[in-house]
Amino acid sequence: MSLGYHPLVKQLLDGELSLAELPPELRAEGAEALRLVGAVDRAPVVLSPALDDRVMAVVRRHAASRTRRAWHWLTSPRDVELRLRLRPAVWAGALAVAAGMALLLLARAPGTTLGPAPVARSGAHDSVFVRFVLYAPGARHVAVAGTFNQWDLNAAPLARAGTSGVWTTTLALPVGQHQYAFVVDGERWVADPAAPAIDDGFGRRNSMVAVTSRGAHTL
Amino acid sequence: MKSFLALTFALSTALPLMAQDVGARLDGRVQPEVRRAVQEIAADAAAHGLPTDPLVEKAIEGGAKRVPAERLIAAVRALAGRLAGAWDAVRAGGLESPTADVVEGGADGLSAGLTAGYVSELVRASRAPYDPALVLRVAATLAALGVPPKQTVQLVEGMIKDGGSPSELLGLPGEVQAGVADGATPAQAAEHVGHGNGNVPPGRPPDFVPPGQAKSHKHPANPHKP
Amino acid sequence: MGLAGDATDGEVVRSVLGGEVERYAVLVHRYRDRYARYAARMLGSLDAGEDAVQDALVRAFDRLADCREPEKFAGWLFLILRNRCYAERRRRQREGRPLDERDDGVAAADRPDGTFEQTEQMRALERSLVHLTPEQREVFVLKHVEGLAYEEIAGRTGATVASLKMRMHRAYDRLRDLMKEHL
Repeated sequence: MSLGYHPLVKQLLDGELSLAELPPELRAEGAEALRLVGAVDRAPVVLSPALDDRVMAVVRRHAASRTRRAWHWLTSPRDVELRLRLRPAVWAGALAVAAGMALLLLARAPGTTLGPAPVARSGAHDSVFVRFVLYAPGARHVAVAGTFNQWDLNAAPLARAGTSGVWTTTLALPVGQHQYAFVVDGERWVADPAAPAIDDGFGRRNSMVAVTSRGAHTL
Repeated sequence: MKSFLALTFALSTALPLMAQDVGARLDGRVQPEVRRAVQEIAADAAAHGLPTDPLVEKAIEGGAKRVPAERLIAAVRALAGRLAGAWDAVRAGGLESPTADVVEGGADGLSAGLTAGYVSELVRASRAPYDPALVLRVAATLAALGVPPKQTVQLVEGMIKDGGSPSELLGLPGEVQAGVADGATPAQAAEHVGHGNGNVPPGRPPDFVPPGQAKSHKHPANPHKP
Repeated sequence: MGLAGDATDGEVVRSVLGGEVERYAVLVHRYRDRYARYAARMLGSLDAGEDAVQDALVRAFDRLADCREPEKFAGWLFLILRNRCYAERRRRQREGRPLDERDDGVAAADRPDGTFEQTEQMRALERSLVHLTPEQREVFVLKHVEGLAYEEIAGRTGATVASLKMRMHRAYDRLRDLMKEHL
């Protein structure tokens, strides 16, 4: 590994010094550095002429479709994002319950219109609406309990969303770090397999979410 | 030594009140023997200047989860131990009188697998504007996601050194999680998580100057003449 | 209807939001090549850059309602493109497809006016750029290809000037090492 450039030579490259301003013993190094950076190709790049048509074709399709679709290639966690992962799990001696997945709406920019449900900032207090989602088709009752509701099983029941086996609820969580888990049928505690999990000290895992005044962060 | 005596004196009057408060919060949520035990543990913790809220919350959690009394008490005691360990580690990192927030963050870190040494190191790295509680929480979350402890610390410290904003710091777990969701291991995802990699959201454009039309179109003086 | 060049970005954005979808073609035409070089450099090939620009333009349309300052559409589009480039790069790394696997890179080896040696150096530098981290590559491209000042780059990307310089200086050292046979 060769030695890096002298800091003054780097300033030369940054345009903060001229070659003449370098001490004589550094000028050769400076000239070398300029040659290196000078080798960069600055030719403008022109894309294929068909690009306009391709873009507009897609744009027209999107405009025509009745429901807005989420684009997943921009998987920035700051976008409103729906993640449903189905991981079949067999509970010993019990009904098979598909693995749970918590959906946390991670809205960074208020006023975003894309996605299943916008997260709004609650008016007066420092809290943010966060939506929880669990896929549990075999369940009869689902709730979410955590540090934000003193682990009260009855405080935050989820409601079925249609017949797909999806349960959801939206809660206003105060700013801060919270731990939570889902409770299925009043007794089965399910953590979010996709969320950071922390040992609850009792042999199970809790999920973590950090709520800031700009939205909920995946934990 | 004087301050220690002052502390114990101050606490000896405050402790009965606090014990009452703990008792009230646990009443009806845990079995009586658990309540008594947790009151003791909390009193002890308070006497050492440690936050007691996490202990009460953990007890309530155990009650809701119907954890057997013995196990519940053991867990609360273990948490108290971690809080104490965190307190030491945070002070070793240079914070004279840490807030409850920071101590809890440190305890979270320890729970997630960071060593006390790493907790101290993270505190040391958290000069303004970085809130040590935030730094510790982010690190704890990364470790909880499965990023190896050493890598966690490097990632967090790297972002701090690079001048990433607290928001960027807070976004690290999400970045790692996105990587994991796409099939990387936590360690791999953490490798690829950079700083400032496109986490400025659309809708808030900076003052934009188009390339090639920059008013201060600054090419270094005499530079790239081949 | 006036020429495409007449309306400001803000006016076009507002009319598209008002339902005139076809007017989006004005913005597509206006910006299709502007960031092509940046995208191609960030992703290591013309094809990848073109895909990224195309996706970014579509994405910008989908989220046009989120563009809170329509007059600053250009900067907003840049951010979308930037996010897209970083996401693409992450995905390729996960799939084990590093950027330099693409055929010939963007370095125009067939420059009629350059000497062979200059072309060789140019290619070597292009190959070396691929080995920088995305952040280092970006600051290098924005400064030395796109010609922006540090302050401008900071404004665009949200990084501080200090951290940009730090990245750039690391990039200089890395490039020196990678290019040693050519210097």
